[in-house]
Amino acid sequence: MKLAETDTKPAWCPGCGNYSLLKTFDEALEEAGVDRHKLVLVSGIGQAAKLPHYTRGNVFNGLHGRALPAATGIKLSNHKLEVTITSGDGDMYGEGGNHFLHAIRRNIGVKVFVHDNQVYGLTKGQASPTSDLGMVTKIQKHGVMSLPFNPLAIAILEECSLVARSFVGERDHLRATMVAALKHTGGFALVDILQPCPSFNKQNTFKWYKQRVKPVGDDHDPRDKEVALRLALRWGDEIPIGVLYRSERVSFENQQTVLAEKSLVEQYAAAEGGIS
Amino acid sequence: MDLTIRIAGEAGQGVLTTGQLLVGSLAELGLEVLATRSYMSRVRGGLNWYDIRIGDEPLYGPGDKVGVLVALTDEALEVLGEEVASGGMILHNTGSGKGDINIDLEAVAKETADSTLYSNTVAAGAVMALLGYDIGVLEGLLKKQFAKKDEGVVSGNIACARAGGKLVADQVGKLKGPKPTRKGGWVYDGSTAMGLSAAVSGVKFVTAYPMTPSTGVFTFLAGAADEYGIVVEQAEDEIAAVNMVCGATYAGVPGMTMTSGGGFALMAEGLSLAGMMELPIVVMIAQRPGPATGLPTRTGQQDLMFTLYAGHGEFPRAIFTPGSVQQCYDLTRRAMETAHEYQTPVLILTDQFLQDMEHSIDELDSQPRLIDRRIVTDAGEDYVRYAVTDSGVSDRAIPGGEALVVCDSDSHTADGHITEDMDAHVEQQDKRMRKLKGMTAGALLPERFGAEDAETLLLTWGSTLGPGREAVALLNAKGVSAAMLHFGQVWPLAVDKVKEAIGSPKRIISVEGNCTGQLATLLRSVGVLTECELLTNYTGMPFTGAEIAERIQK
Repeated sequence: MKLAETDTKPAWCPGCGNYSLLKTFDEALEEAGVDRHKLVLVSGIGQAAKLPHYTRGNVFNGLHGRALPAATGIKLSNHKLEVTITSGDGDMYGEGGNHFLHAIRRNIGVKVFVHDNQVYGLTKGQASPTSDLGMVTKIQKHGVMSLPFNPLAIAILEECSLVARSFVGERDHLRATMVAALKHTGGFALVDILQPCPSFNKQNTFKWYKQRVKPVGDDHDPRDKEVALRLALRWGDEIPIGVLYRSERVSFENQQTVLAEKSLVEQYAAAEGGIS
Repeated sequence: MDLTIRIAGEAGQGVLTTGQLLVGSLAELGLEVLATRSYMSRVRGGLNWYDIRIGDEPLYGPGDKVGVLVALTDEALEVLGEEVASGGMILHNTGSGKGDINIDLEAVAKETADSTLYSNTVAAGAVMALLGYDIGVLEGLLKKQFAKKDEGVVSGNIACARAGGKLVADQVGKLKGPKPTRKGGWVYDGSTAMGLSAAVSGVKFVTAYPMTPSTGVFTFLAGAADEYGIVVEQAEDEIAAVNMVCGATYAGVPGMTMTSGGGFALMAEGLSLAGMMELPIVVMIAQRPGPATGLPTRTGQQDLMFTLYAGHGEFPRAIFTPGSVQQCYDLTRRAMETAHEYQTPVLILTDQFLQDMEHSIDELDSQPRLIDRRIVTDAGEDYVRYAVTDSGVSDRAIPGGEALVVCDSDSHTADGHITEDMDAHVEQQDKRMRKLKGMTAGALLPERFGAEDAETLLLTWGSTLGPGREAVALLNAKGVSAAMLHFGQVWPLAVDKVKEAIGSPKRIISVEGNCTGQLATLLRSVGVLTECELLTNYTGMPFTGAEIAERIQK
């Protein structure tokens, strides 16, 4: 059956935060001077994970929850590539939760953008790891009972290289935060992006976020772990956004003696040419 | 002639150290050596043993009767004593008087070199002398092994080896070891042969979650990483491992992971990803008896069907089943080449018996000879990753150049982008499956051992090669017309050629380390066989040639 005509792009709902997120992402790539030929857009599965198909670059759209290990393999094969991950709260913090914990420990130099709308979109409205307590869905019909996962606090405890949060409703802030992540050279960069899901999350709406997000001041020192952690734990009436934390760790790829000069891809090409 | 030396004791007592000293010395002397290990899943205690079979003719599998038992504990003597052949000798590590020779190894070491640590060397020296071999070879090995330690360690060990030799002086001549017949020196185990082959062939990215009995290859490659330029990373789980390898191969270097059945179960989704994205990943699976955790340190051949069907959906794969240490080396390279030629996952199925088997073979080439990745380097802006071709193989570019490389786990159009169009879905599915034609034409055919017109034909795959060969020789010696066909690759199968190779013997017996006859099932399902007998062993221990020959004659 020919469904090519009806297979419209993007596959997102009207009013989805992903539209402005995609536009801002493209602007940020431009502003950070990323060469699209050296860019690998890695994703898993979910509505956010479709983003790589709607922009330009090399694409690895892999399995649900497995963007991080795939991106780790790509970055270690060719650490001269810019490797980004576009993921959702289910993909990154649920299905991929174990990889999230360990990729930050490793401090692999990938830039992770999580479209966090606190709900499952593609499977139509179940709770996600970041859904607020009490949120009622067709599955969690007596309300969510599990405590929400706090990705930023966990990342800070693991001394993640860069930890940030932004909101699709604050486009300048989002662009600046994305650029900070793209320009970051110290290792793993996490940007958790708050985003409404007009179809399935009737609780955390655009207005709900807009009234609560508050950029951290210029006087915030992201090197201060304790302050960063306090900001990450704040949720409810006020949600801090911005670069909350930066650590001084050396990226995983930069600790590899084998990668001191050339990437594995470069080394292979050189050896392949040299030996029959 | 041949003879088996068995070193037996608790985990942590030095069974391995003593065994390795002997393997090194006996191979250096020029004996045919084939050593196998049997151990329990524990770090201390239990009962482990190390069998070193030596001979003056090529050996292919473990021996049947023990000529010398070195029992480090009473338990080793009690449990294993009855497996000593008539005329064999038991060296017992106590003064109890229960053995033919009774030496308190630790006391001798303490007295000779003021350290009980060297008791293993006392035992090795005693065995060498008992069999009438020159202890100087062992001394040479000790010098080499401890070259980086201080002089006291070397001289202490040498004194202990000599002390061991002296203590059995009155017994020398009772047992005769086989005569050296080969130019000595090289001994490899299956893990080393596989790891070395991967390193030489250009594996650049290796990751795994440690799982017995696959860890030997992982450890070897970690050790070789700096020399060969390999990034080795221990993954948080097997799911991560296989997905990392998918990423690494997409980005352009050969990648590999290794595991056992349980870990491979976790990799099934990633395997399917490699099939869909057309990534040349190689997964080595070292089998152990299952289900679930099973017998973690024992051997088995229960995962052929699992390996054949693992992963959802349908996609082409190749499965290699090396049978000897030499084949571990040869087929690992072939697996990597096949993966790259057809851009699809390739699996290597081995087991504990073969991974730990040490064999005296000719030196393996350790110089890098990188495989051809078969990538295109001149693709431009108009490049599409999944162009539809007759062979099913599309030009593969890697990211970083002018061509953008777009790969998707979703059904995709030729340009790699997500689609729900069913025409594109079918076109790409057919394209991928067309690779099987070339893969089948190039598949390794089963190898025959024995006469073309033999009345009884044994079918074996993987590590049953050696015991099967020895069984054929034993049967032939008794006047039984028997031969063997060994499968070093079980998928894909060139059906007509395999049928021809089997011919029409009176009896066909599939000899397998499982209880259902998985190779036989596979051969029946593709129409190669109708009926055949099964000869199975799923005890956790490998076959021996004598066991197979005896059961066939029953």
